[in-house]
Amino acid sequence: MSSRRWRESSRTNMSEEQITQLLSTLRQLLPEIPHSHSHKASSAAKVLKQTCNYIKTLHREVDDLSDRLSQLLATIDADSAEAAIIRSLLT
Amino acid sequence: MKRWRTKREHQIYSSKLFQALCRSRRTSSSTSAKELHQTADRVLAITAKGTTRWSRAILAAPLTAGTNMKKHKKAKVTVHTRSRKPVVNREKKKLPVVERKLKALRRLVPGCRKLSCNNLLEETSDYIAALEMQVRAMTAITEFLARGEAQAPTDRLGSIGNM
Repeated sequence: MSSRRWRESSRTNMSEEQITQLLSTLRQLLPEIPHSHSHKASSAAKVLKQTCNYIKTLHREVDDLSDRLSQLLATIDADSAEAAIIRSLLT
Repeated sequence: MKRWRTKREHQIYSSKLFQALCRSRRTSSSTSAKELHQTADRVLAITAKGTTRWSRAILAAPLTAGTNMKKHKKAKVTVHTRSRKPVVNREKKKLPVVERKLKALRRLVPGCRKLSCNNLLEETSDYIAALEMQVRAMTAITEFLARGEAQAPTDRLGSIGNM
């Protein structure tokens, strides 16, 4: 399984237990995607790939939000409402 | 990592971000989406209070006008590949899958190119949680502003306060 790969690469001097632990942490962060075989069968490579894709998705979301925000800020006069908006954000 | 889920952190970030955006609007006539994204990332890194490598890397990076911050690191990627070649199995033409995925991950998380696998996964966990909060906060701000635009200015202040 993935354990052999880790042993082959002398670069990674983590115990398998550490790897499993960290991977399970990562798995918890990833959104639940219904897979046909999403159980413990997820290899390290799969989890890492999902992680990369998820980060890219988040980056894209922030990109879109930045787009919309920059448009909104250009059209409205945020300065006059700034205090009120900040107050409402903080409640 | 847990702190990114708290309401308090969310409020701190969204209010800081909004203030930063208003400030930049006063200095320059318009804010491009890229600059806005950069500002959002910097405020996120500041909110992290320098406890993580990715946040320190964001703050240390020079402000680029309109180009992706990660691009200037491209030259280093090839060096990385070359040094890894001796490890390759004879049967496979490329690196083992896990190594490749780790490499990809290293490119995505700021400041983690030379990080060990252990630390990389830790940084990734924190980075993802922070990004999720960033999305939530920016969505909230966008909704406030969009709602404000749909109504008359005098109504806007009153209704936002009732949120």
